[in-house]
Amino acid sequence: MTARDVTVPASKPPETPEVDEARTARPGRGLPFWANPRLGLVVVTAALVAIFGSLRPAFFNERLTIVPLLADVSVFLIVGLAQLCVLSLGHMNLAVGRMAAISAFVTGWAYTSLSVPLYVGMVIGLLAGAAVGGLAGLIIARTGVNSFVVTLALDFALLGLVTLLYNSVTGGVSFAVRPDGMDQLRNDTFGDYCAGDWCGPSAIPLVAPLGLIAALVVGYVFRYTRLGRELLMTGSSERAAQYSGIPTGGRVVAAHAMSGTLAALAGFLLAVNNGAFSANIGEGFLLPSFLAPVLGGTLLAGGAVSVLGTILGATLTQVIYKGLNLLGFVLDELKIYLGVVLILALSLDRLRVVLAERRGVRP
Amino acid sequence: MTAELLVAEELTKTFPGVRALDRATLRMRAGSVHALLGENGAGKSTLIKILTGVEKPDSGRLLLDGNEITVASPHAAGAIGIGVVHQERNVIPAFSVGENIVLQSMPARGGIVDRKRIRAEARRCLDLLGLDLDPDRPVASLSVAQTQLVEIAKALYLDTRVLLLDEPTASITGDEAERLFGVIRRLIADGRGVLFVSHKLEEVFALCDTVTVLRDGASVLEAAPLAEHDRGQIVDLMVGRAQATLELPKRTVDQGATPALELVDIATASGHREVSLAVRPGEILGLYGLVGAGRTELARALLGLDRITAGIVRVKGAPARIRSVREALTRYKIGYVTENRKDEGVFGDQPVTRNIGVTIWRRLARLGFVPDKRERDVVAEYVDRLGIRLAGPNQLASQLSGGNQQKVSLAKWLAAHCEILVIDEPTVGIDVRTKAAFHRLIAELAVGGMAILLITSDLPELVMLADRVVVLRDFAVQGELLNDHDYDRMSQAVIRLIHAEQHAEAI
Amino acid sequence: MSTVLPPADPTGAPPALRGETARRFYRTSEFSLAVISVVGFCVLAVATDFNLLSGGTLGAFFRFLAVPIVIGLAQMVVLGVGQMNLSVGALTGYCAMTAASLMVEHQVPAVLAVAVAVGLGAFVGAVNGVLVVVTRINGFIVTLATMTILEGLRYGVAGSGTLQGYSPGLQRLGGASLLGVPVIFLAALGVAGLVAFYFRRTVSGRSLLASGGNPFAARLSGISNDRSLVVAHTLSGLLVGVASVLVVAGSGSVNTSIGDDLLLPSFAAPIIGGVALTGGAVSVVGTVLAAFIIRMVDVTQAQFDIDRRWVDLVVGVVVLGAVLIGRVREAVAARMRGGAS
Repeated sequence: MTARDVTVPASKPPETPEVDEARTARPGRGLPFWANPRLGLVVVTAALVAIFGSLRPAFFNERLTIVPLLADVSVFLIVGLAQLCVLSLGHMNLAVGRMAAISAFVTGWAYTSLSVPLYVGMVIGLLAGAAVGGLAGLIIARTGVNSFVVTLALDFALLGLVTLLYNSVTGGVSFAVRPDGMDQLRNDTFGDYCAGDWCGPSAIPLVAPLGLIAALVVGYVFRYTRLGRELLMTGSSERAAQYSGIPTGGRVVAAHAMSGTLAALAGFLLAVNNGAFSANIGEGFLLPSFLAPVLGGTLLAGGAVSVLGTILGATLTQVIYKGLNLLGFVLDELKIYLGVVLILALSLDRLRVVLAERRGVRP
Repeated sequence: MTAELLVAEELTKTFPGVRALDRATLRMRAGSVHALLGENGAGKSTLIKILTGVEKPDSGRLLLDGNEITVASPHAAGAIGIGVVHQERNVIPAFSVGENIVLQSMPARGGIVDRKRIRAEARRCLDLLGLDLDPDRPVASLSVAQTQLVEIAKALYLDTRVLLLDEPTASITGDEAERLFGVIRRLIADGRGVLFVSHKLEEVFALCDTVTVLRDGASVLEAAPLAEHDRGQIVDLMVGRAQATLELPKRTVDQGATPALELVDIATASGHREVSLAVRPGEILGLYGLVGAGRTELARALLGLDRITAGIVRVKGAPARIRSVREALTRYKIGYVTENRKDEGVFGDQPVTRNIGVTIWRRLARLGFVPDKRERDVVAEYVDRLGIRLAGPNQLASQLSGGNQQKVSLAKWLAAHCEILVIDEPTVGIDVRTKAAFHRLIAELAVGGMAILLITSDLPELVMLADRVVVLRDFAVQGELLNDHDYDRMSQAVIRLIHAEQHAEAI
Repeated sequence: MSTVLPPADPTGAPPALRGETARRFYRTSEFSLAVISVVGFCVLAVATDFNLLSGGTLGAFFRFLAVPIVIGLAQMVVLGVGQMNLSVGALTGYCAMTAASLMVEHQVPAVLAVAVAVGLGAFVGAVNGVLVVVTRINGFIVTLATMTILEGLRYGVAGSGTLQGYSPGLQRLGGASLLGVPVIFLAALGVAGLVAFYFRRTVSGRSLLASGGNPFAARLSGISNDRSLVVAHTLSGLLVGVASVLVVAGSGSVNTSIGDDLLLPSFAAPIIGGVALTGGAVSVVGTVLAAFIIRMVDVTQAQFDIDRRWVDLVVGVVVLGAVLIGRVREAVAARMRGGAS
């Protein structure tokens, strides 16, 4: 029996007038232009930039503000992407910060003990992140325990582990090493690289492309690859996914491993920006990891992600940070405003979803 | 002549784009069981929602014992005397039987729960049903049928005059259904009225006194004594025209061919023992059994979702080790149209393209990249072939009707070029017309060479479609029959097998 | 068609024994925790050469058990409606700092400051609840946001300074013992008793559990799920307020880091105590016993000078184990009930 022995009826079945008219309603109209979440983010960001700029012209100073801002955006974009990977499943990764920390440790150790070049160390760190993330995914897939609990427990376990490791290996909390190229990666902008008379934009730090590449890869995975689609389907309905032949266990591991890898990348970039691989890498990752994707329209329930939204969300978050910083707010006070922004953004998003549902369109 | 208990007069209800009820009328007498029939979309659920206070009618009125009433909310419905037991179980698992019964109005003193009165009230309600359950028992320890009875007791707690039962026998066994009917008869003996909503005409004819049939939102038959109508007439009224006997394509099955799928003395971790069956290409094997027989579990074991502990599975004559659904699909070309459409068959919040494409990405992918256009083309092909009505390819699956969703659920297996299909209860909750179309579709698939294992508890469906029938009970095969498509003979033979003490000889 | 009414059903299809077993099953969780607690305590006592039983050590053991118990209960309350409260730690700190600040910097009498702390906790809890209901946002995110806000506010009270030397009366109460048992521990037990009574015997408490157990059924029965959410969060905040008072009374000083180490214990206690994350059931006894066990682990760490981080690791692993056991139990219970098709 060959593969094509079974034939599907080529002719349409007899007319079955639709009994349930209500469901196949009029074709959904698109969302009104103003309700599109990405546009909303762009508008708010632009408005804030204008406001901060007028209050503190130093906001537009390349060296003082723009370059560090873009560097931070790169880091926190990747942090947001790390969370996005598991949000696609409807999971959470509460250990993003610690995964970054432990990967940073492995990288720092590689530089110190193995004297590897800059990017080799980075790759080693990424592998460590993938391993830890994969472990979390494996536990979740095998035991069926809620990702919240597993990653929360993992976060605490790693917290202890990271401090212990730094203490025992470095006798302190950071590695003193500085591999070749790190200073350049940290300090240079494209303006420092010239081909003849034409120099690159000096407003863009050298680390920015890493964030962009990460975003492009993640976006590509979710939009075009089988892996990405199967992740989204698993997030939509795990049982239906299982019955459709999707190896959900493997996909869970893959998503969490991706999350760990991105967390490691973010940790690496942060360490480069700070100038040192230390135990407190990843400390402030948790809230931004949710803020960026959620602001950008990624659903907590799984089944839908937006990389573009995450980019915009990360940008908006950092603009707020930097702006308020310039205005004299201390980090702890900033926290108040960040929390408020998150609630406001989510309320608006809720409104958007309600409107979309009323029009029968996918929000 | 007994008084009219509940009257819904000229109810009209319009939702955006559709008129759900069009001057529908319902009349129930006290002391009787009244059937409410109609296809999906005829307006039954809207009528029930209005009666139970979930929706308000645009016009028309409701009368209880001759007095006009307004039902403001589900809670108010209970207070007025209208109780409802929904199709799905609705209890608080951690609470006791008694607490579940009194949930609508917990006896209390100064905010503190009065346990003694709860027990007394629960006892009272359970006695009305002739049930001897301990009110302090955690409701989670009860069987599905018992839980349903507790819900009826709950509906009786607040002096219920009218009890609405929505598809009550959807998930209970034959014996349990008989017990339920006994309870219902006991209830109406006290002057209550029971509204029985069901798709199972055999039960309606066995239990009910009068019937109302809805079609397209209007009552085409009102409060008619069931004794004066037969099944065919009722179905005609539901469907709207004299239903032509469905002409299914003639099929012949080569009984000598190597079976596409063969189970030999299969035992599973869920409890099956010595299950053997064979499905040849182009054959429809009906697997009949009641709730609890182990049919879906068998399908799951076949797909690698449960463990097979003994026996051999053969696909196209060669032994097969199926360890996962994916392996079943890609290696052995087996597809499984699930029983539970909503949770297992479709991805509600995803567009139809993704729903159908999910099984073919592997085939279409080049280096991990899935070309959109190819996916769209394949999906469009099957949407067309199966006649799935869509507003657009990106419409969300949850927005389709039940029948179209079921087609989507099927389409993904056809798109993946399956040669063996396990179809589990395909027409549950689907209206008569779409059901007929589905049956034709299944028959046409068999004509095309598909080997089909049809799992069903719908006797008419079984007799119409199957070439052979295997009867399953308590995770073991009771017997196997050749189908002569004579409904009376076959249904008798099958029922006999179901209730037999030992395994019967093949007839 | 049968015309004979079937006889009154004795006990239904599964034997009565199954009901017994199910009941026993549930108690098993708390029972095994009790066993672990007693055995563990004896082992620890022996391992410390009975030092553990000496007045001062024993007193300290129970004194530092008070806050974890109340915090665990605060989390348990929202778990019961299927929610989470990530702000318990930060809120404890904020309430504690506010109370201390009122006493130290504004000379407010202790009684009033205590009332303010508790009221503030309840208020913030109510805000959490209202936000969850009105915005329909996942409780996790809402409380993550309010946690961040509270961290900022907490810092705003006294910056990075320490507040101390307040109300000697309150401090004495915090250090006092009744028949060798620390007063704040007794207070915590009293709170636990009240919470247990609330969930077992009051209409409001039962309504909360109904909403958590099956929101749809609850709504059909006239219970407002929105109200249950708000009440649960408010009660959680109230308990946090009480915990903050215990913190202020029990320690001599407070600073802006108070509460940072309370988040995991707030989950660990109810989860190990057998409370499901999905809502619908609570266990005060389980939560208290679990807090007891966690305290024993702490003491073991201090006694044998094990690095603190290992404790975190172990607690993390145990929490995982507890949830796993819970799931296994669920699966077995489901199989017992039947449910084949």
